[in-house]
Amino acid sequence: MTMTTLRRGTALAALLSATLVLSACGDNSGDGTGATTVQKRTVTAGNGAVEVPAEPQRIVTIGNTTLPLIDMGGKPVGVTEVGASDLGLIPAEQKATYEAATILGSSGDQVDMEKLAALKPDVILAQMPKSEFEGIEKQLASVAPTVFWGLDVEWKALAGGLAEAGNVTGGLSGQKAEFEKKIAKIKETYGKVIADTEFVNVDRWESSDPGTFSVADFGCVEIAQGDLGMNFPKAAAGADPLGWTALPFEQIAGLSKYDVITYPVDAEGKPKAPFAPVVETNTWKALPAVNSGRALGVFCPGNNSYGPVLRYLDSLDTALATLPAK
Amino acid sequence: MTALALRHDGPGTVPVPGPRRRLIGLVVALVVLLLLLVLSVMIGSTAIAPSVVWDALFHPSADIDQFAIRDYRLPRTVAGLVVGAALGVSGALIQALTRNPLADPGILGLHAGASFAVTVAVGLLGVRDIGGYMWFAFAGALIVTLMVLALGATRQGQSPVVMVLAGVCIGAVLRGAGSALELTNPAAFDVMRAWNAGSIVARPLDLVWPIVPFLVVGLVLAVVVSGSLNAMALGDDLAAAQGVRLTRTRVLAIIALTLLAGGATAIAGPIGFVGLMVPHVARWIVGPNQRWIFAYSVLLAPILLLASDILGRVVMHPSEIPVGIVTAFVGAPVLIVLVRRKKASRL
Repeated sequence: MTMTTLRRGTALAALLSATLVLSACGDNSGDGTGATTVQKRTVTAGNGAVEVPAEPQRIVTIGNTTLPLIDMGGKPVGVTEVGASDLGLIPAEQKATYEAATILGSSGDQVDMEKLAALKPDVILAQMPKSEFEGIEKQLASVAPTVFWGLDVEWKALAGGLAEAGNVTGGLSGQKAEFEKKIAKIKETYGKVIADTEFVNVDRWESSDPGTFSVADFGCVEIAQGDLGMNFPKAAAGADPLGWTALPFEQIAGLSKYDVITYPVDAEGKPKAPFAPVVETNTWKALPAVNSGRALGVFCPGNNSYGPVLRYLDSLDTALATLPAK
Repeated sequence: MTALALRHDGPGTVPVPGPRRRLIGLVVALVVLLLLLVLSVMIGSTAIAPSVVWDALFHPSADIDQFAIRDYRLPRTVAGLVVGAALGVSGALIQALTRNPLADPGILGLHAGASFAVTVAVGLLGVRDIGGYMWFAFAGALIVTLMVLALGATRQGQSPVVMVLAGVCIGAVLRGAGSALELTNPAAFDVMRAWNAGSIVARPLDLVWPIVPFLVVGLVLAVVVSGSLNAMALGDDLAAAQGVRLTRTRVLAIIALTLLAGGATAIAGPIGFVGLMVPHVARWIVGPNQRWIFAYSVLLAPILLLASDILGRVVMHPSEIPVGIVTAFVGAPVLIVLVRRKKASRL
C-alpha cells in the first residue's frame, strides 16, 4: 500500500467521520426521523425502573411531589392543587413557583388528562395512594414517563428520588449537608435531655372530630424520634399509627405521665388553629408539664423534604432551649 | 279491679294499662333515667374514682380529673338529657300529626335543612366553631319548616300528606346541594362528616343552655295540642265535630316539633331512630293517649340516648363512637322486633 493510497483512505475516513458528525448534529435521532435525542437516566421508584430525561425541562408533579420538588429548586410546569394551609407555610419564592404552574386538578386522582397532555411534559412525578395511582397509571404513562412513589416511602428516599428524577440533585445535596449539621448540633447540645426525657407529641387536625385529639407518631415527630433519638410513644410493629386513634378530651389528663409534651404551633408560635381547642381546656391547663413550662410548641411546616424539615429542627432547637432544668 | 283496659283501635284488641300502672311505669322510667344520669357522669373512657366524681360535683377543686367530670361528662350528660327528651316528643308529635308510625322529624326536611345550613356556614361563610354553626342549624330547621307549612297549606287547611311530600322534596334538594358543596369544600366535608354522625361530645353547657328555652316552649306547645291530637286520631271529621280546630292544631304541633327537633339537631346534629323508635315503645306501653305518650317519650328517649352514649364511650376504648351511630345500631334491630310484634303499637 502506497502513502498516497493511505492518505486517500485517511482523507476519506476523515470526510466520512465529519459527515457523520455533521449529520449527527443535524439529526440527533439517529433514526432519521428528525426527533431530538435526549439523554436518559433510569430512576427506580414505586412503579419500578423508569427511564426519564436526564435534564427534564417540563416536569409535572402530582399529589405530594409538588412542594418537595419546588423546595429543592425545581420548577414544575403543571401541578395538582396544594392546600391553602400548606401554601401559607412555604417561602414566598416557592409560592411564586407554584403559582406559575398550571393547576391540573384538586388531587392526584382528579387530574385533568387533556390539560396534562396539552402541557407536553417530559416527566411526571407522582406520590399518592397506590390504589389511586393504579387507576390512572396507563393514562399518565401515555403522556410522559411517570415516576411514582406510594405514601409509605420514607421522606428522605422520596426527596432523593425526586431530586434524581427532576434533576435537582444540586439543591438536595446542600440541604442534606445542612440537615446533618443541625442534627449533630441538637444531639450534642441536648444529649442528656434526649436520653433522660419521656416525650409525647400531641396533635389535632381540621378533620378531627370535635372534642378529640391524638397522640401523633407521624409527621415531624418521626424525625425527632428517628434522627435525634428522642423518646416518643410509638405504635407497636404492624399496628396502626397512634395518631389514627381519636382520643376524647377527657384523656388529656393521661398526658400527666410524660415529662415533656410537644404540640403544633404556627410560624408565629401560636397553637395551630385546629389544636387551639385543646390548649383552651382546663384539663390541658392543669397538666404538670404545662404548668412547669414543659409543654413545647413546635412548628412543623412539613416533613417530606429537607427545607421544611430544617425549619422544624430550628423550631425544635429553640423549644428545647426553653426547657427548665429538671 | 284490673289495671288493664281494652283498647279498640283496629283489628284485634291491645291491652292498655290503667292510669295507676301507667304512673308506676313512668316512675320506673324516671328511676332508670336518674340511674343513667349518674352512670353517664361516672363512666367514661378514663377510669375516675367515684369519690373524685363526687368531689367534682360537690367539692370542686382544680384537680385534673375533676375537670374531666365537670367539663366533659357533665355537659354531655345534660346534652343527652335535653336532646333525648326533645327528640322523643318531636317524634311522637310527627307520628301523631301524620298518622304515620314510620314518620320522624326528618321527614319534614328538618335534618336536611339543618345540615344544609351548617354546610353553608362552614363552606361559604368560614364558620368553624360549633357555637357558631349550631345557630345556623337551628335557623335551617326553622326555615325549612316554614317552607313546608307554606307548601302544605290547601283550601281545606294544612294537609299532612302535602306537608310530608313537601318536606321530602325540600330535603332531597337540600341534601343534593349540601353534598355538592361538601365535595368541593374540604373544610365543609370535614365538619359535616362529624356533624352527620350525631354527637353530644364537646357541647359545653354554655352552648346547650341558650337552646333550652326553645325546647321548653316546644314541650309546652306539645302538651297544649296533645288533647286535640287525641281527637284527631279518630279522623278529621270526628275531631272537627268535637270542636278541634284542625289547622290551628297542626300549625302549633309543627311549631312545637320544629322547636324540639330543630333545637335537638342544632345541639347534636341529626340523630336517627330515637324520634322514630321511642314513641313506638311509649305507645306500646300506654296506648294511644298522646299525653301519656309525650310523658313517656320525655323519659324514654333520654334513656335510650344516654345508654347509647355510655356504650359508645366504652366499646371502642380508647376512642369513642358518636351516639348517633350507636342509636342506629341499637335502634334498628329493636325497632324491627317491635314492628314484628303481633301487638305492635298502632296509631
